Amino acid sequence: MQELTFKVQRYTPGQDKEPYLQEFTIPFTEGMTVLDGLIYIKEKVDNTLSFRSSCRMGICGSCGVLVNNFPMLACHTPVEELKTDRIEVKSLPNFPIIRDLVASLDLLFEKHKSIKPYIISSDIREAEEPTAEYVQSREELESYVQFAYCVKCGLCMAACPTVATDALFLGPQPLGQVYRYCTDRRDMGAKERFHEADSPHGVWLCHLAGACSEACPKGVDPALAIQLLKRAMVFDSMRLAKKRQPVTLAHLPVESKPKIEVPEFTVK
Amino acid sequence: METEVASSEKPHLPNRLGVKGWVWAGRYTLERYLYTLHRLTGLGLLLYVALHLGANGFRLGGEESWTSAIDFLTNPFGRVVEYLVMAAFAFHALNGGRLILQHLGYTLGKPKPPIYPYVDSMRRRRPLTWVMLAVIVALAIYILVEFVT
Amino acid sequence: MKETRLKILQYITGIGLFFFAGTHLIVSHLSSGEPASWESVSDRAASAGWLTLYLLLLTFGLYHGLHGLRTIILEFSFPNYAVRVLDWALVVIGIAIFGYAAYIPISAF
Ligand code: HEM
Ligand code: FES
Repeated sequence: MQELTFKVQRYTPGQDKEPYLQEFTIPFTEGMTVLDGLIYIKEKVDNTLSFRSSCRMGICGSCGVLVNNFPMLACHTPVEELKTDRIEVKSLPNFPIIRDLVASLDLLFEKHKSIKPYIISSDIREAEEPTAEYVQSREELESYVQFAYCVKCGLCMAACPTVATDALFLGPQPLGQVYRYCTDRRDMGAKERFHEADSPHGVWLCHLAGACSEACPKGVDPALAIQLLKRAMVFDSMRLAKKRQPVTLAHLPVESKPKIEVPEFTVK
Repeated sequence: METEVASSEKPHLPNRLGVKGWVWAGRYTLERYLYTLHRLTGLGLLLYVALHLGANGFRLGGEESWTSAIDFLTNPFGRVVEYLVMAAFAFHALNGGRLILQHLGYTLGKPKPPIYPYVDSMRRRRPLTWVMLAVIVALAIYILVEFVT
Repeated sequence: MKETRLKILQYITGIGLFFFAGTHLIVSHLSSGEPASWESVSDRAASAGWLTLYLLLLTFGLYHGLHGLRTIILEFSFPNYAVRVLDWALVVIGIAIFGYAAYIPISAF
């Protein structure tokens, strides 16, 4: 591979009627990612190209795009992995286009917010002014920690066939997070969130196509979270769910270990 | 909340894939294709049931009306439709069984902390799905043989 | 948890159909002889067992099929304020089809 052909989606609302593809030929360098290619184009070829990125290391979830018809993080996708020198980059489907490759993720964030993505504690005072630590076993942690790795990049929403037609469907990211919080032993908000997920556009419009989990760049496996949520809701609606004890508190030992001697400051 | 979400799409091109996003499974793998097929067979069976119930009406006209209706339907094209219904049912029934199990979290395993390279639960359990597909194909072939002989 | 209960019924009717529709299909499409002839049809019509099977098959099939159709309709961004109308329309359609289709084997019994 000497050169790469980038076909990049261009679209300016109000100016263009439809998105169109523009072709760029750029040099290949070893280890470069799709994001590197886009940055090269913006710096050296066409500075009007718009795309979004921030951390360039798969942490912030800003750079989700459709690469050769598969949703990916541009920064997390080495060009070599694509096994072709023709790279088509479009904005994430199922999200409105702000400009060129920049998709508006507002929809995702609104839906995410609607499911109350935070620990709902039974004891507000303890949550606000903690007197002790919550005890959590390894199994309890592992029951949700995989789903807590979500970076809200929206790739799962771009992959989901139900989101493809249904603007009101909650979608894989928010539904996965419903399970993430409900299964956390510190949380007492399952009832409220189950209510949200039980709407006609809630969890039952998931048909386990599995595309969300295939697209997820963080190994979060939203499809698994959603199926476990369905199970929890079915058991709950048939009153078969085990009653969960509120989380236990571990009061810190009153006598702590002797403090380690802090060396003198060298700069005074 | 719903109206808010819908209106936030208005200023821009919504860019939704639409029904094409249901049908076209593209680079996604097995279960994504089974999703399309399950929906297609479900709707096909429903259409067949509707036609079938309509045709049952000839029973009310007595033996002559029923026999002439059956005679009318007994032709190679009718046989092909009959076979397709049987095959669609075999698929929808067995895949439906898989969906019921997996929707209830069975056969998917437990959540695991994500360690690269990531393998999602459905891919971990995919051999089971291949076994199911093999049974469906075997059934479809068996029914075909029964139909031809 | 209305939607959850409706979906549980979808699963239960699915499992029911596995057996009822399976039996029906094997008997009327795979067995030797002439399962669709007037004699065979009349023979089955006289049996209480077959009548029960037909009525169960009809009930389960209608619920399962129409709930499946409802799911698909909802996925066209079907507005929440109209879901009640959709539900009632499907209930009316279901009852109408049931009335028509159940009358045939019952009248022949
Ligand atoms: C043989 C037993 C059957 C089983 C085990 C079964 C199972 C299922 C299941 C589990 C679903 C839900 C799929 C999902 O939500 O992802 C479903 C959907 C559906 N089924 Fe069945 N089914 C059976 C027979 C039938 C029959 C005979 C019909 C025709 C009347 C039918 C029509 C449908 C339709 C229209 C859907 C909706 C498809 C969709 O949402 O994509 N099913 N079935
Ligand atoms: S730039 Fe942060 S995830 Fe790609």
